[in-house]
Amino acid sequence: MNKDQINELPLGTSPAFAGMHKWLQRGLIVCLTALVLEGAFTFPLLAMWYGWPTLSLQEICTEFERIRFSDESRECIYPYPLFGPAEGAGQTTARDQWGIQPKPQYKAIGYRELIQRRNDRLAAQTTESGGEP
Amino acid sequence: MNDQPISEQDKRRRRGLIAFQIVCYGYLLTMFLIQMYMYSTRDW
Amino acid sequence: MSYQTTTIAGMSGLDAHDERSRQAQWQADKWMMSGALFLGSAVFGIIGLPLFLRGLALQLKAQKAGLTVRPMMVTLIGYLVAVDAALNSIGWALDMVAHHTLLARVFLMAWGNMFDAGYFWHYNELWIGGASAPGEKAWEIALLPLVFSMRIAAAIGFLQMKRWGHQWLIITCWFGVVAWTGYIANMTIFADVRYTGVVFPVIGWWLYDIFYITPFLALPYLHSVNREIFSH
Repeated sequence: MNKDQINELPLGTSPAFAGMHKWLQRGLIVCLTALVLEGAFTFPLLAMWYGWPTLSLQEICTEFERIRFSDESRECIYPYPLFGPAEGAGQTTARDQWGIQPKPQYKAIGYRELIQRRNDRLAAQTTESGGEP
Repeated sequence: MNDQPISEQDKRRRRGLIAFQIVCYGYLLTMFLIQMYMYSTRDW
Repeated sequence: MSYQTTTIAGMSGLDAHDERSRQAQWQADKWMMSGALFLGSAVFGIIGLPLFLRGLALQLKAQKAGLTVRPMMVTLIGYLVAVDAALNSIGWALDMVAHHTLLARVFLMAWGNMFDAGYFWHYNELWIGGASAPGEKAWEIALLPLVFSMRIAAAIGFLQMKRWGHQWLIITCWFGVVAWTGYIANMTIFADVRYTGVVFPVIGWWLYDIFYITPFLALPYLHSVNREIFSH
């Protein structure tokens, strides 16, 4: 290896590791970019999938609780009292196939399915109460 | 120091570090494949 | 090595060169640090990226101009490791101490329902609140105060080219290897809880999380770099 090439090596990198360091650098750049994009877009995209802005965040929270605990009487309390007990403490309605490997029985939530779920419920309530609200 | 060819110690260190990376990524890949296998056999 | 001749000679011309190098590095670091603060906050990451890239460009320019600035790899590893640890800390701090905020009960639940039901299944049913998947809470307690906060501290020392920074980054990156190994073993063992009824099982989680493998990328460098350059 001639002097010019060696002088081009970054400080601290010996010729033996020049190749490895170059590959590591590429990996680092990929990771950094990916982490930034994930960080920036995950929250808005997730919120959209689960029905925001049609549903408010609190309404999404309520739907999540009802699905998670299989309990249609749950409401997402917000703001939750500081130092109160865990919201799900004592809740026994969540359905699982119990065993050494518990398997939950809720279903995956499709794209903007929570909106449909809520509308169906509201429609059912209006028919129950007899006609137009 | 710059004019010397790659030293024996550096060679061994490079071998060790390459082995380390193969083990790490191999482990990750194994876990991923196990999970993919489970995914194919269960109703997730 | 050119670095050593620079310090040994110590003539006034070289002093001026050192001073200009330090200034250029600090100038670049100001951009990169403010960028990294945003990057580590997840939601505002997109604001941080241009700031960070501008700092990176300034450092490259100084390097091309012949100034003695930090090697690019040290800069990348230092900041990436800090950002990785900050992002992890946000999610897990939310789950550990803020599990009843609206943010946690929407964001974590949504994330959990989509990729990893460890953050959906029986959530907030444990007396301690937060994730209820087997083992999850224990990992949070072990990793948040030990690995991630220590890694951020180590990254700062590393960026200042301190000897302890290099040493502690090696230690906390090995912690990271232990964390990854144990965490995904736990996940595979309790895969039924984690992946039943989620929108994108397995592939979704891996696609999302694979970019947190920074310790695996950092360690080969840390063990092969000439450690004499960390002498401040």
